[in-house]
Order: sequence, then structure tokens, then C-alpha cells
Amino acid sequence: MDITLQAQELHYLTLSQRQYSHEQESMQNPNHHHQQHQITTSQTLESIDPSASGKWAEKLLKECAKAISEKDSGKIHHFLWMLNELASPYGDCDQKLAYYFLQAFFCKATESGERCYKTLISVAEKSHSFESARKVILKFQEVSPWTTFGHVASNGAILEAMDGEAKLHIIDISSTYCTQWPTLLEALATRNDDTPHLRLTVVVTAGTGGSVMKEIGQRMEKFARLMGVPFEFNVVSGFSRLGELKEEDFGVRDDEAVAVNCIGALRKVSVIERSPFIRMLHHLRPKVVTVVEEEADFTSNLDEFMACSEECLRFYSIFFEMLEESFVPTSNERLMLERESSRSILSVLACEGEGGGECERREKGSQWCERLTGDFSPMSFNDDGVDDVKALLRRYRAGWALLPAQGTDATGLYLTWKDEPVVWASAWKPS
Amino acid sequence: MESLSNEAFTPSIREYHPRKLARTYYNNSDIDGGDAEELQWINGTQSYENMINMTKNKSGGHDHHHNDHQQGLSLITLLMECAVAISVDNLEEANKMLLELTQIASPYSASCAERVVAYFAKAMARRVMSSCLGGGTIMYSPLLQTKAILSAFQTFNTISPFIKFAHFTANQAILEAFHQRDRVHIIDLDIMQGLQWPALFHILATRPEGPPHVRMTAMGTSYEALEETGRQLSGFARRLGISFEFHPVGRKPGDVDPAMVQTRRGETIAVHWLQHSLYDAIGVNWKTMRLLEIIAPRVITLVEQEMPPHSGQFLERFVGALHYYSTIFDSLGATLGCEDVNRHKVEHWMLEREINNVLAVGGAGEEEMFGSWRTELVRRGFAQVPMSGNSMTQAQLILNMFPAMHGYTIQQGDGTLRLGWKETGLYTASVWTSPRLMRYSRSD
Repeated sequence: MDITLQAQELHYLTLSQRQYSHEQESMQNPNHHHQQHQITTSQTLESIDPSASGKWAEKLLKECAKAISEKDSGKIHHFLWMLNELASPYGDCDQKLAYYFLQAFFCKATESGERCYKTLISVAEKSHSFESARKVILKFQEVSPWTTFGHVASNGAILEAMDGEAKLHIIDISSTYCTQWPTLLEALATRNDDTPHLRLTVVVTAGTGGSVMKEIGQRMEKFARLMGVPFEFNVVSGFSRLGELKEEDFGVRDDEAVAVNCIGALRKVSVIERSPFIRMLHHLRPKVVTVVEEEADFTSNLDEFMACSEECLRFYSIFFEMLEESFVPTSNERLMLERESSRSILSVLACEGEGGGECERREKGSQWCERLTGDFSPMSFNDDGVDDVKALLRRYRAGWALLPAQGTDATGLYLTWKDEPVVWASAWKPS
Repeated sequence: MESLSNEAFTPSIREYHPRKLARTYYNNSDIDGGDAEELQWINGTQSYENMINMTKNKSGGHDHHHNDHQQGLSLITLLMECAVAISVDNLEEANKMLLELTQIASPYSASCAERVVAYFAKAMARRVMSSCLGGGTIMYSPLLQTKAILSAFQTFNTISPFIKFAHFTANQAILEAFHQRDRVHIIDLDIMQGLQWPALFHILATRPEGPPHVRMTAMGTSYEALEETGRQLSGFARRLGISFEFHPVGRKPGDVDPAMVQTRRGETIAVHWLQHSLYDAIGVNWKTMRLLEIIAPRVITLVEQEMPPHSGQFLERFVGALHYYSTIFDSLGATLGCEDVNRHKVEHWMLEREINNVLAVGGAGEEEMFGSWRTELVRRGFAQVPMSGNSMTQAQLILNMFPAMHGYTIQQGDGTLRLGWKETGLYTASVWTSPRLMRYSRSD
């Protein structure tokens, strides 16, 4: 990137802000405009009084989003400045949300989102090792059912759909580093009938280093040997977008029963490629497709910055609060998850196009249902599966519950946190 | 001391190669130790090498922590480069480095250096953003979340001896100034919650000649908080049998009209100030000095943070602050584990806030801030009263209360008492008397 150009942009921004203030205020007192800024800001800040009310971040962020959508330069600067004063990535939820949304809003206002995102992703990739990534996932699974919910539900559906099959091929499109499969392998090994042969093909989305997958593969092979399950492990990589994948890439054989496991995968497919991608999955002739997604809508409001920001704020407020209540205050793992979220927030709010490779345009369960219906029809989870999920939730702190989807066209199960649906799990068969 | 080669850097920061940094020379006779040395940016390397010492001296050498320390070192280097970029106004480059630093450094790390980097990077990011927004004329963040900050200050007082050192050495000097006086007036320029005074009241109450009548004038910006403090102190004084008057002044000393401070004939006046960087406690510096001249107290007890002045160059200030706060972080890390919640509370609510303020872009009037209050007092003709042996004893007693006492150091010099950690002085206590008083006799 052209550094001089970027520097010019920033200086221009600074200059134009100063010019704006000068125009607003009298020229008699050169310090006047600074003081004016200070006075109105202090007044606004005092009217917030965070020690009294809790949720100052939400109010400020909404005002800022409004100013951005109205392209009100003066107000944008005002709110960004205030957020800058109050935010911290190391404080309470309000401070954290303020910090990460401030970054996204600033990038949006200065049109530097994509550049910023690219830098963040490259830094994250360099500093993540197998050990650190594994630590984060395992700790998260220990303190919260956020990811294990989808695993347990999906495994139940897969086992049911593949019952009696001798050769299984699971295509795993997820980012949970195969933590889902040990339990499934165990279930396969302890079934009454002959243990089937399992092929696991893992689709590696961008950001996971080759060495990580090698480690994972070795561990899985070892575990399968211990369980006495004939096992093959493959990795599909070398593509930049999930939408690029074609049926041939998976090496599906004629004599095997295919299950496609999509955990947080569909949202990584760019919006326009979602329908073709689902169709491609259909061409694999799978026995079951499990889809697990987080319950947020960052797609239908693509053109309305304010609406998108509000939904983003709604979702991440819940997520951050959940993290705060699940982890100890000084947890590095929680910090990693928060930073990961900040990259998502940036990509959703400040990146035009598809933000450098991976976009996190989430959709809600009902929206995914619409997309999947046609090529697929819903499979309900059997009683055993639902019981397994309930048993899982009992192992965690209070606040988590299971909610079956309601409504005529709805399908799937929701994980709720304090009565808010947060994760949606579903199973599908080709129609 | 090993020279640092590239192999020492964590392989994960591959793209980064240390560039040659500009050398700045400066002469400063106010530097601790007295010698007016030519200090190059090696002064920065001094902090850097202290980092290396700090991290090498850490106990517990199992691999995980060793990796943390290695990472801490390379992060410090990147942080320094970032500071140089900011000092030459290369905000674009600085921003890039900050993106990296704020994604990697964790404030919960076992490595103190990494924790320091996490907070410094965040403070620098705030400064860069504030520069980009064309603001940054306010040096101190508006004081919200007051309760959390004051609570952190109290916690700091429990886990670390610095505040007690300030309080007890000052109280000793005040006690000596109040010897055989029966009407006394204490003026606290920034009383906060008045943590200092119960201990003094206790001693005054048990004087052989009996307690004096005590008046207290307390300054602070929240009238409500002042009244609460006043209630607490009044209750305490009453229980001790001390006749007590409390006068809250809801202003900073620099905004106070001297007429607001009533002094009475025959009373002995003590003025006290503990400097910190949590918020702007003083206001206009020269007006405060004028207030002191007018009040003409018998004793001024001053405790200053040993940091370069805000009016200097950014890089100088950055290096000084990095040295200063790294030392505090190290002292906390010597006794408290990396997951200790009190340590985190102090580091986030107190130290992060101070670092933010110290590194902020200054505003109008920052050139008028005194670099060193001791120097200013001398300039205005105040006479320094050397800290007595009793004050030294007090300081030593406090240190004995703290488990890591071997790390804390007390130095005497130039009539001051300085409390620090290892080789670094952090807080300097000094005592002064008004030039208008002809004599000042001290109890033996």
C-alpha cells in the first residue's frame, strides 16, 4: 500500500477537522474552539454518568453510527473523540465494546477498513500457533456451550443419518479444530454393529496454518487408532474463498455415505455465492448436512449502516457479556476471543466488498432455512439427540437453555443465553 | 549483559527488523543522581536493558514463561519504534505498529514487560486517534467512573507501599511542624478520600500536650465527594476527642481565589500534596504557587512522581514514563501472580489511566506546567526542610509491612526521601517552609 497516500489521507482528515472547528467558532480566541469542544464534550459526558447507568457504550455507539450514516462530520468527530476517551480493551464490557466498535467506526469514517483488516489478519496468523489456538478453543468449550452445543446436536444428526452405513465420509467445514470428532469416533466405536470406516475431510478456511492442520491430523489419527476406528484424514486447502470449492475438491467416492458438517461455515461464504455453494453441497449427494450458525443478521441491512451497526452491537453485547460471565477476569483465552470478534466487527462494518477474503456476514436461522429449502428439506433431531444436548447444557453454569425453533417453516434448535437465542443448529437432507 | 541479536526475537514477528533510531541528546541537571550526563536515546536503551534484567531476573523458568519473557522483550522494542514514529509525526507508520502491538500484547501475561506494552500500546493508540481526530487538547481524560478509580487507588494502597510512604513521611513532617502548637490548619490540595489523615489524627490525639484544634481545608472537584470525606473525617476526629472543623472547597487549587481559603491568626498551617496522574488535580500551576505564597504555610509536604515533565518532547516523556511504569509493574509482579484480580484492578483502573494521561497530546497551557515542583519552590524562595531521621524511620517501618521489601529501596539525598523499586526512584517526598516565616524550629 502507498504509505504517503495514507499519510496524506490522515493529514487531510486532521486538517479538515481543524478547518471545520475554525469555521464553527470565532477566530478571536485561538483557543476558543478547543475549549468549546471540551465544554460540549464534558457536558455530554457528564450527562452519561457511567457509574449511575450501566450501558453508556450502547448509547454512544448508536449516536456515532447515526452520525456516520448521516455523514455528519462534526458529530462523527465528536462521538469518536468521546469513545476514544472512555474505551479500553482491558476493562468492563462497555469499555471493550466501545473500544472495538470505535476501531470499526474510525476505519469506516476514514475508509481504511480493508487495509486495517488485512493487517489484523496477518498479525493474527503470525502469532497463532497450534498450541495457542487449541488452548483458546478448549478453554472456551470448558466454560461455555457456545461451540459444544452445535457439535453435540450435529453429531446426533450425523449418527442417526449414517446408521447402518459401512463407509462414512464426513466433510467438515468448521473452525473448531476437530474438537467435535472425538465424541463421534467414540460413539462409532461403541456401537453394537461393526465399526464403520470413517473418512474425515477437513476444509481449511484461510487463517489456519498448514502446521496446525498437520498437528490436528496426527492427533485425530492417533485417537482413531486408540478407538479402533479405521480412519483416513484429508485436508482441503489452497483456495482463497469457500465459494471457489467444487464437488471434485472433496474426492467423494461412490460407495461412501457423505455427511457435510457446516459449523459457522456458511457465513464465511460471500453472500452472492451462498446459493451456488448450497447447490454444490447438494451435488455431493450427502445423507445429511448439519448447519450451525450464530443467530445474527448482518446481511439484510448491508446498505443501512445504522441498522447494521445496531444488530452488530446487539449480538456482540450478548457475546461479550457471556464471555465476561464465563471466564475469569484475567483470562488470555477470553482476550483472544474478544480480539477475534473485533476483526469480525471490523469486517462487517468497515469493509466494502468482502473484506479481504473472509466475510462474516451472519444470517439468522430463519434466513438460512429459506436458502436451504428447495435443495434440502429439514431433518428433525431425534429424542436421543435432544437429550444429549440437554445433558450437555446441564454441565455448564445457569443461564443456558435449549429452545426448539417455532413457527411453520422453522426448523432446528436454538441455544439461548439468558433467553436470547444465540446459536442455531439444524440438520438437512437432500430433497 | 547480552547484546540483543535478532535470534532473541520471537520468530512470530518475522517481518519486523529493528531500524536505527534517531539519537537525541539532552542535558538535564534535574536527573536523579545529580550528574548532568549527556544522555543519548541510550536512556531509552537503559529502560530497555532494565526490561531485559527484569525479565531475566524473573523466577520460574519453565518454558512457557520463558517464551512470554522473550516475547515481552521484542514487544518492547516494537513499542519504542512506535514511539519514535509518533515523535516525528509519522502517524501512519505508528498506527500500523500499534495494530500489531494491540493484537499481540496481553495485559494478563506472566511477563511484566508484555503487560506494560499492552497498556502503553493502548495509550499510544488513544493518542494517535486523538491526533487524527484533531482533538487532543485535553490532557487528562474527563473523570468518569470515579468510584472505580478511587477504589483502585485504595487497592493500590493495600498491595503496594508507595501511597503509605507518601502519607506517613508527610505526616511525620507535619507532626514536627505542629510541635507544641494548639491551633493547626491542614490544607490538602487534593484530598480524594482523605486516607492520609486518620493516622495523623491518631498521633495528634495522643500527644503529651493533648490534641490541637484542627481545621482542615480540603480541595477537590466533586463537592459531593468532599462532603462525604468531610463526614468521615469529622466522625473519626470526634471519636478521638479532637475538636475539628472541615472546609470543603470544590475547586482545584489553581482555580481557587485565595480569599476562599480562610486563615486565622495564630494558627499553624500545613499544606500537603501527593502528585499523581489520574486526573488534573492542580489546575493552573502558577496560580497554585501564588496561592502557596499567599497562604505562607509553616510547612509544605510534597510528594512527587519521578517522571519527565509533560512539557518536554514526547520521546523523552515516553521513555521516562516507560521506565517509571515498568518499574511499578515489576514491583506488583514480584508479589502478585499474573491472574491476581487486585493486581489487574490496579493496573487497569489506575495505571492504565495514568499512562493514558502521561502520554496524551498536551493542550493549551501544557508549557506552563512545572516540570519539577521542587525546582519551582526553590525559585519562589521557599526553603527546603531536610527530611528528619524520624521520617526515614517511618518509611522503613512501612516497607517492613510489605513482603517484597527487598525490592523496595529508600534513598536519602538533597534533603528528600525517595521510595523506589530496585534502582529506580518513583516517589520523592520533600518538605518546605514559606519564605515569609523568619524561623522554622523543628522538634528533636
